[in-house]
Amino acid sequence: MNHLAEKYSEEIQAILAKYPADQKRSAVMPLLYLAQRESGYVTKTAMNEIAELLGITATEVASIVGFYSLYYDKPAGKYRIQVCTDLPCALRGAEEFLEKLCENLGIRVGETTPDGMVTVEHVMCLAACDKAPMFQVQSGEGLSYHENQTVESAMALIQSLKKGASHSNKDGHP
Amino acid sequence: MAKQVTLTIDGKQVTVPEGTLIVDAAKKAGIDVPVFCYHPKMEPVGMCRMCLVEIGRPVIDRATGQVVKEADGSPKVQFGPKLETACTTPVSEGMVVVGASEKVKAGREDILEFLLTSHPLDCPICDKGGECPLQDLTMGFGPGESRFIFDEKMRMDKHVPLGELIYLDRERCIQCGRCVRFQSEIADDPVIGFYQRGRSLEIVTFSEPGFDSYFSGNTTDICPVGALTTADFRFGARPWELNNAASICSQCPVGCNITFNTRREARSGGRMVIKRVMPRQNEAVNEIWICDKGRFAYHFTEGGGSGNSERLTQPLVRKNGELAPVSWDEALQVVAERFRQAGSGLLTLAGGRLSNEDLFNLRQLTQGLGGQTALYTQMAGGDLVAQVGVGQGTNFADMGAGSAILVVASDLHEEAPIWYLRIKQAVERGAMLIVAGARPTRLEKYAAHVVRYPYGSEAAAILAMLNSLSAKRPNLPEPVQALARSPELQAAAKAFAGAQNGLVLYGSEGLGLEGSQALAQACANLLISTNHIGRANNGLIAVWQRANEQGAWDMGFRPRTDLAEAMKSARVLYVVAADPAGDDPSMAEAGEFLVVQELFLTDTAKLADVVLPVEAYTEREGSFTSGERRVQRFYPAVPEPAGLKADFAVTGQIGQLLGLDLEARFASKVMLRIASQIADYAGLDYVRLAEVVEQWPIVGRGDVYYGGTSYENSQGLGVQLAPAAQRGAAVPLAWPEFASQSHSQQASAEGLLAAPINRLLDRGQTVWPSTLLHSRIPQPYVALNPADAAVLRIPSGAMLQVTLNGTARLAAAHLDENVPQGVVLVPRSMGLPIFGPAPVEIRRAEVVSA
Ligand code: SF4
Ligand code: SF4
Ligand code: FES
Ligand code: FES
Repeated sequence: MNHLAEKYSEEIQAILAKYPADQKRSAVMPLLYLAQRESGYVTKTAMNEIAELLGITATEVASIVGFYSLYYDKPAGKYRIQVCTDLPCALRGAEEFLEKLCENLGIRVGETTPDGMVTVEHVMCLAACDKAPMFQVQSGEGLSYHENQTVESAMALIQSLKKGASHSNKDGHP
Repeated sequence: MAKQVTLTIDGKQVTVPEGTLIVDAAKKAGIDVPVFCYHPKMEPVGMCRMCLVEIGRPVIDRATGQVVKEADGSPKVQFGPKLETACTTPVSEGMVVVGASEKVKAGREDILEFLLTSHPLDCPICDKGGECPLQDLTMGFGPGESRFIFDEKMRMDKHVPLGELIYLDRERCIQCGRCVRFQSEIADDPVIGFYQRGRSLEIVTFSEPGFDSYFSGNTTDICPVGALTTADFRFGARPWELNNAASICSQCPVGCNITFNTRREARSGGRMVIKRVMPRQNEAVNEIWICDKGRFAYHFTEGGGSGNSERLTQPLVRKNGELAPVSWDEALQVVAERFRQAGSGLLTLAGGRLSNEDLFNLRQLTQGLGGQTALYTQMAGGDLVAQVGVGQGTNFADMGAGSAILVVASDLHEEAPIWYLRIKQAVERGAMLIVAGARPTRLEKYAAHVVRYPYGSEAAAILAMLNSLSAKRPNLPEPVQALARSPELQAAAKAFAGAQNGLVLYGSEGLGLEGSQALAQACANLLISTNHIGRANNGLIAVWQRANEQGAWDMGFRPRTDLAEAMKSARVLYVVAADPAGDDPSMAEAGEFLVVQELFLTDTAKLADVVLPVEAYTEREGSFTSGERRVQRFYPAVPEPAGLKADFAVTGQIGQLLGLDLEARFASKVMLRIASQIADYAGLDYVRLAEVVEQWPIVGRGDVYYGGTSYENSQGLGVQLAPAAQRGAAVPLAWPEFASQSHSQQASAEGLLAAPINRLLDRGQTVWPSTLLHSRIPQPYVALNPADAAVLRIPSGAMLQVTLNGTARLAAAHLDENVPQGVVLVPRSMGLPIFGPAPVEIRRAEVVSA
């Protein structure tokens, strides 16, 4: 039984319709996003289901997941706080910011808060080098940028995320 | 012919066809450019940068379009500012390539230093050590020391099973992508892939079972490091301890050229044993590849693996009801005496895994006594292949645009994997493929036309194709008429007839002797009528179930439909390399006296009055004739166990005791007799079979980094026989008789018909001793359509009692929508007695609780 295909049959049809029938495999990216939205990461089952939908092998689907850093193959918190620590950001104190943020949350980089809400990760350049420290928040609700951050502003944002307040996008570009 | 281009490589002038890559041009000129990711059988990717060279190009005056000259009149050459990859750059006129310069040397050194930063350098315990491109190139071009910090090396998993057959050492991988590219480009089984990026990149498999491909072993040959190794050979021996012996794979009619690597070792009691099978290059047969059956199913030589798999070591004669060991003299005397008494009452039944020399002697012996011979097989048509088989010079590699290939009643991926691979490649070069079958098979993916027929209408479908081309024979039975009206079939027929070259491969799926004979005749008719005979790349190929069935036909053996009765009425039955009682208990009632000549104590041998043990083909010389009718030699790989003789020698000695003139000592001399008595083999001898010509790509010399560890062929490419049609014989059309009963009438009370299919990894006598393969060999099963299963209330996986030909056996139910309704697919050599299409009864087996 193909769980994704059943649960999201319309959405999947709409995605597939965007690609020529003989190039169905190109739909792998949007389908992976869909799968990730469903479970917070791409499960092995989902890889198999997508492979079946597209007539390719599960290994081919998996290599896409492995290649792109925005697909996850392991469960994590509901919100992923992804702090850029590449050189330009580091020069503006991103590393210290990351360290302090983790201290405040009581976790190490890559870990998830005990309530399962927040995972903190460090990532490569997000093209907002001049507004560091900066991070993006990734979740089933989408992506949002947060620039010129302090540990306080970041903690405030995290609190509001935890409370379920819809997080705003006004302080950054999409 | 492609335009020729002349360039200079390290001062040497080289002329090669336009489009050739620099790395190949250099190879042709005898200059080695080191590579890792490039492989001559695959598209270049330029990933590893090992092949960097300096490239200069003549300066062209823009105004005149002429080459600018130096003061001395020589063309002015401009070199690029950076080194370029020789593996991705095609040659051009006047190009100057420099590999032997300080700049290139420094480049190579840097690349190697860089690759080694992530490499464990555990050569002393690495299986690849001694035949490792990374090791060799580091010795040749690498820096003596690294500037990087040893403790910062990547640490990754070292023993990752990618399934049961292939192991990955993640640390050793240099990310060349050869394995991944082989699986997707060549095998079209993209079941391994890259995961992650940069230094974290690793090879993964997500298939079930892991690395699920019949071609997986080839990746261990082309992996330039010890990252991929086979579970079979891993930690088995060091390459430099190994001897090698040229041989031919005995597992299917493709006849892949192989090399047995052997070693004398303490852990095998000081015996010489086979350690691994490697491909041996024959560009007309298997190129540099073999399938995993050929690579791993060689353990029958040493025996073992449960069942009747221990090798026989001494002749046995039944005394007081028990088989007792006796001397050869005694055994042969007993046999000779019985044969003499039997005279024309002798029936010799031989299997298709015997060599030409064995079969020839068997036939000489039997004919000399006035007895009869029979081939133990379920497929017919070898006589037609001898007439309209593929012409001399046939090579799948030469087929492309203008060639049509028709495959009927065969699942080639399962039955002859290397033909599957080569046909797929021919299609990629433009050949037109027609697949005719009763159910979908993997090959259909590449087909331009698919012809679907119901089981039982194999020959009819081909005749319908023929009929749609001309109204030559309008009075065909109804099934043919109906099929002939299908537009898809008509289009396929037209395309086949219109092609410059036409080739037909027919198999035995769903067929027994009668059906396959009719199918072979129908295919021959199609080839004759469309004038696709007597030339290279035209004609008929039989997808036999055994390696040398074509040779058996050529030596005069024929199957017989009345075999069971003939066996019962024979005064003496001489069974060689066949196990009828094991395949079907009802065949156990032999005649008065039974002589079995075998490797193992098979079920048939257990019933015998005399058992004659023989050498495995790995222990002696001989020749096989492949499905493409290429006669190929195999050489002894390991010494024969004391007291065993080759089949032809045993038969020869029996013959000599009976006063017949048979050769019993040298296989080469038997071949001389074959050549003098069998017209098709005229002129053949072991020297001719051992001839070689230079092949491209050049592999297996000191430069394993270029083609991988496939062996160079220095022991013989074999000789392809000319079919009668090519020798000018007239081949008339003949019309097969249709079985009077249609298949639906043959079905059982429940309306179910069993159709035999062939699986690559089965429980055959020469497969089972290779225990590594057991995990890939399914439990006995039958496949049926879910609709039929629903009616019979059979859930998927249920244990069934399957009654076939009066024998009931247990088998699991596989439900598969691709199985036509009313049909139960029964795999051959999987423990169920299936010979041809037959009525079958299935019901759920009683669940016995322990
Ligand atoms: S496993 Fe071997 S062949 Fe595959 S990418 Fe790594 S080094 Fe290359
Ligand atoms: S394709 Fe056939 S001959 Fe070749 S290796 Fe496999 S089983 Fe052996
Ligand atoms: S370096 Fe951090 S956003 Fe560019
Ligand atoms: S880049 Fe040329 S061989 Fe790898």
